[in-house]
Amino acid sequence: MGKVCSMAEAIARWVPDGAAAAMGCALEAAIPFAAGHEIIRQGRRDLTVIGPISDMLFDLLTGAGCVRKVTAAWVGNVGDGLGHNFRRAVEQRIPRAIEVEDHTNLTLALGLQAAAWGVSYLPTLTALGSDLLAANPNLKPATCPFTGDSMVAVRAIRPDVTIVHVQRADPDGNAHLWGNLGVVVEAARAARHVIVSCEELVPTEEIRAHPERTTIPFLYVDAVVVQPYGAYPTSTYGHYDYDAAHVAAYQEAARQGSPAVDEYLRRYVWGCATFDEYLALAAGSDRLIALRRAMEEML
Amino acid sequence: MTPASSPAGPDHSRQELMVIEAARDLRDGDIVFVGTGLPMLATTLAQRTHAPNVVMVIESGVIAPQVRPTPISVSDPKVMHRAVKLGTLREVLGCLLQRGMIDVGFLGGAQIDRFANINSTVVGRGSTQRRLPGSGGANDMASHCRRLLIITHHERRRFPERCDYVTSPGFLDGPGGRERAGLSPDFAVTVVTDLAVLENDPQTCALRIAALMPGVTVEEVLAEIGFRPEVAPQVRTVASPTPDQLRLLRDELDPERVYLKAEESATTSRR
Repeated sequence: MGKVCSMAEAIARWVPDGAAAAMGCALEAAIPFAAGHEIIRQGRRDLTVIGPISDMLFDLLTGAGCVRKVTAAWVGNVGDGLGHNFRRAVEQRIPRAIEVEDHTNLTLALGLQAAAWGVSYLPTLTALGSDLLAANPNLKPATCPFTGDSMVAVRAIRPDVTIVHVQRADPDGNAHLWGNLGVVVEAARAARHVIVSCEELVPTEEIRAHPERTTIPFLYVDAVVVQPYGAYPTSTYGHYDYDAAHVAAYQEAARQGSPAVDEYLRRYVWGCATFDEYLALAAGSDRLIALRRAMEEML
Repeated sequence: MTPASSPAGPDHSRQELMVIEAARDLRDGDIVFVGTGLPMLATTLAQRTHAPNVVMVIESGVIAPQVRPTPISVSDPKVMHRAVKLGTLREVLGCLLQRGMIDVGFLGGAQIDRFANINSTVVGRGSTQRRLPGSGGANDMASHCRRLLIITHHERRRFPERCDYVTSPGFLDGPGGRERAGLSPDFAVTVVTDLAVLENDPQTCALRIAALMPGVTVEEVLAEIGFRPEVAPQVRTVASPTPDQLRLLRDELDPERVYLKAEESATTSRR
């Protein structure tokens, strides 16, 4: 079956300790939570996590002690603002100290785009005059060689691995993703390796019948994991809505800190052998069907 | 220039009037770069009242949606409803915004200083430091929009003389600051709070009091600002809401009171 494997196999092979992993690249939608849970279950350490807006995934990984560095434009919880595990790590080194490389959404996209194109940087007019420019060593003041205008050079950001969740993929890794794409297109092309998790595995004939929908051709992809609801509790366009209740429950645990965070992790991540077990525990089939209906009604 | 018929009383909250006043700042036909929360609520209200041709652009890549109440995030399917395009961040931030095709950037609460610089990264220093979520697309919006509209609950700690960290550029260090940094000087800022409307003085670039909410005095506003703003020569009183505006807000646009809560904490709203 080509590149098809389990999430456990994909994470074990392509996300070693110390890896730089781009996730949450479609912004708040289609966040690869199944991959995130497996990273925590396998006890990964010292990761650099890369993404524009990570919603609660980076906060969860940080609370679980997997993260050494966050390269992002915004880290928090979209329903409620602050990322409490992220904050505790930055302010109090709980559960460990982390480094933060602050970007704007556009500079993060351009860093990934530079790596995707194989150039060492790309110029932009964003971040000029701000403290981001002073604080982030991978943003440098530059001068346009043609006009002499002030610009910002954004250094290429090359993840070891980009993990994306998509609606469908074939066994070779050709991936159809539609809806908001955020920075998925450049993130998948910037990385040394790509893990695709999909709602549905389709034959290559289906891809060839709709090549205009192919967001990521197989050339970039190393592993394909079939995981329906793999972005839960976030939404996947055309499939299911966001589960605000579960995100709120997580946020309350994160706000309280220890021991509520450990209890959340024990119950929903470490206590579940697979993501399907988590789905049954956190949502259940009635709730999952309701989220599917909510998406259908909206479109 | 409309005088208030009555102070904010039981017929509406100051927060409701803040949203309504911010909506009034949008002109019909404006292309508005907007996040979720109070900015989206105000933009939707403008579309349903005086500015039906306002076009929303959302950083997740959504162009010209007909937003349904009441989205939680920029990737909520309610935000994507009947959009003309679901695209990429590079298109909306790189092409539309950086290229200069956006009229208004509309942001929620943060720390704002005398020269309208915005901090959403870190407040305080040393052991009292508090880490906030970061820029998101806010720096991009403040860098490239011609007009920046900010809606925020009015608290003294949100209006320091100088931000601890400049996440998003206002006028930086004052007149000429943006040009010296390489940013477009074609820029204006309006801050709508539950007490007042602040705007930049065209000469000094400093925020000044342009309007007061009904029943609010200049002294009350000054007590809630960490610097001493000038008062505009003809300070006006914000017009009271119309029954239609209140009905739309309460019954159609935020019926579950997702955004019109009693209080909004200093650090939660974003982008």
